[in-house]
Amino acid sequence: MISDIIAIIRDYWLLLLIGQYPNGPLGGLAATLLLSILAIAFAFPVSIALALARLSNSPFLNWPVTALVYFTRGVPLLMLILWGYFLVPLVTGANVPSFLTMLVTLVVYQGAFLSEVVRGGIVALGHGQMEASRALGHSYLGAMRYVILPQALYNVIPSIISVFVATIKDTTLGYVINVPDLTFAASQINNQLLTQPFQVFFILAAVYYVICWSLSRVAIVTERRITRKRAGTASQATAKSLKLAALTDQPS
Amino acid sequence: MNTIAPSKNSPMIALTGVHKSYGNYEVLKGIDAEVARGEVVVICGPSGSGKSTLIRTVNRLEEIGSGSISCDGNNIHQPMPAKELNRLRSRIGFVFQSFNLFPHLSAIDNIAMSPMRVKGLQRDVAYAKATKLLERVGLADKANAFPAQLSGGQQQRVAIARALAMEPPVMLFDEPTSALDPEMVGEVLSVMKGLAADGMTMMCVTHEMGFARDVADRVWFIDQGQIVESARPEDFFSRPQTQRAQRFLSELRH
Repeated sequence: MISDIIAIIRDYWLLLLIGQYPNGPLGGLAATLLLSILAIAFAFPVSIALALARLSNSPFLNWPVTALVYFTRGVPLLMLILWGYFLVPLVTGANVPSFLTMLVTLVVYQGAFLSEVVRGGIVALGHGQMEASRALGHSYLGAMRYVILPQALYNVIPSIISVFVATIKDTTLGYVINVPDLTFAASQINNQLLTQPFQVFFILAAVYYVICWSLSRVAIVTERRITRKRAGTASQATAKSLKLAALTDQPS
Repeated sequence: MNTIAPSKNSPMIALTGVHKSYGNYEVLKGIDAEVARGEVVVICGPSGSGKSTLIRTVNRLEEIGSGSISCDGNNIHQPMPAKELNRLRSRIGFVFQSFNLFPHLSAIDNIAMSPMRVKGLQRDVAYAKATKLLERVGLADKANAFPAQLSGGQQQRVAIARALAMEPPVMLFDEPTSALDPEMVGEVLSVMKGLAADGMTMMCVTHEMGFARDVADRVWFIDQGQIVESARPEDFFSRPQTQRAQRFLSELRH
C-alpha cells in the first residue's frame, strides 16, 4: 500500500509537479498553486470593492452588486464554470484558455462570497467609528481606508481564511474544463494505472491538505503579529494574542 | 452665505429656525440661538429633549429639515461638494459620549493620524503636535498605549486631544462624561475647564451642573425640541423662569 504510493510518486513526480510542461501547458501542482494564488490575489480586492458597492446608497452601485451576490450564492460553482467555458467563446467568438476561464470564474464567485464576509465585518463595527472619522474631516473613502477596513478586515480574518481555503479546493473543479492542474494530473495517472485509484487520490488529498493547512498557519501567524503590534506592551500582547489564538485557531 | 467673512463680532455658531423630524416625530421645533466667539454654552434638559440631536446638527452628523446653521461664517447645511463639507467638519471639534477612539491605533497615532491624512501635515510635525496635546491632557506617558489599555477618563482625554489636533476654532461635546465612572469625571472636566480658560468656543451637552455653574457663560435649557430658557448659569440655577426648568432642576437635586 505505502510502497505503491511511493512508487507512484517516484514514477510520476514530475507530472504531478508541473504537468506536461515544457511540452504542454504548465500543469500539476504548479498550475494549482498559480491558479489559487491568482484567484485569491484578485478576489480579495474585488470583494472589498463589492462590499463597498453593496454598502453604497447609490442604486447604480448597490443593485447590480446585490444581484450578483444573490446570483452567485444561488448557483453552483460548477454551473458557472461550465457556462463560462461554453458561453464566453459562443458570445465573443474568442478562444479563451480554460485556465483563464477558471480564474475569472473563481474570482467572481469567491469575490462575491468574500464581499459578504467583508461587509459583515464593516457593519459589525457600528456607526461610532465612521462618525468619529467624519467628524475629524475624513472623506468616506478615507475613513474606510484608515479606520474602518483595518479593523473590519482584522476582525474577519478567520472567515477570510475559510474563503481562501475554499478557493484553493475549488480549483479542483477546473478538472471538468480540462484545466491541467494537480487534480487533472492525478486523474491522468489514475487512467494509466487503472488499478490503484485509492493510492493516487490519497496523494492528491495529502497535497491539498498540506497546502490548505499551510495557509491556515500563515493566517494564524499573521493574526498574532497584528494582535501583538496593536496591543502595544509585550506582556499584554502575549495574554491577548493567546486569548485570540484560542478563539480563532481553526482545524485546518 | 458661505462667503461671509467671519468678523470678531459675528457669532461663532448661529442657529436660525432649525427644525428636524424623525418621520412624524418632531425632535427640534425651531431653534434660534447664537454662541459668541469664546463663549462656553452648556446645554441641559431632560432625556429625549433633543439636546444630542441639536449638537450633532452643528457639524452635520445629523441633517436638518429646515432652518440654517452657520459656524465660523460658513453655512453648514447648504448643498455643497463632499470635499467642502469634510473641510468644514475638520474645523469643528467633536467629542462623543462613547469616546470612539480608533482601537487599532495607539493614543498618539489616534491624535496624529487625521492631521496627516486630512490636512497633509508632515509626519514629524504631526507627532510633535500630538505629543504636546498629550501633555496638555496629562497623558504624556500613555503615548504608545492602545485605547483598550486606557481607563474611560484617559480615553476621553485622548479623544479631546484628537479633536484639538485639527486646531478647530470651536469644540462640541456630546455628554462627554456620561459614560464614565464617577471618579473619572473630574479629570475630563478639568481638561475642559482648561480649554474654556484658553478661550475656546464650546458647546457642551452635559448633566454636570457643577461644571455648568463654574465654567459656562450661558446655559440653554432644552425641553421638547425647544430652547425654553437661555440664561447665565447663576440666574438659571437660582432663579429658573419656567416651571419646566424648575421641575428639571428639582429632580436633579434628588
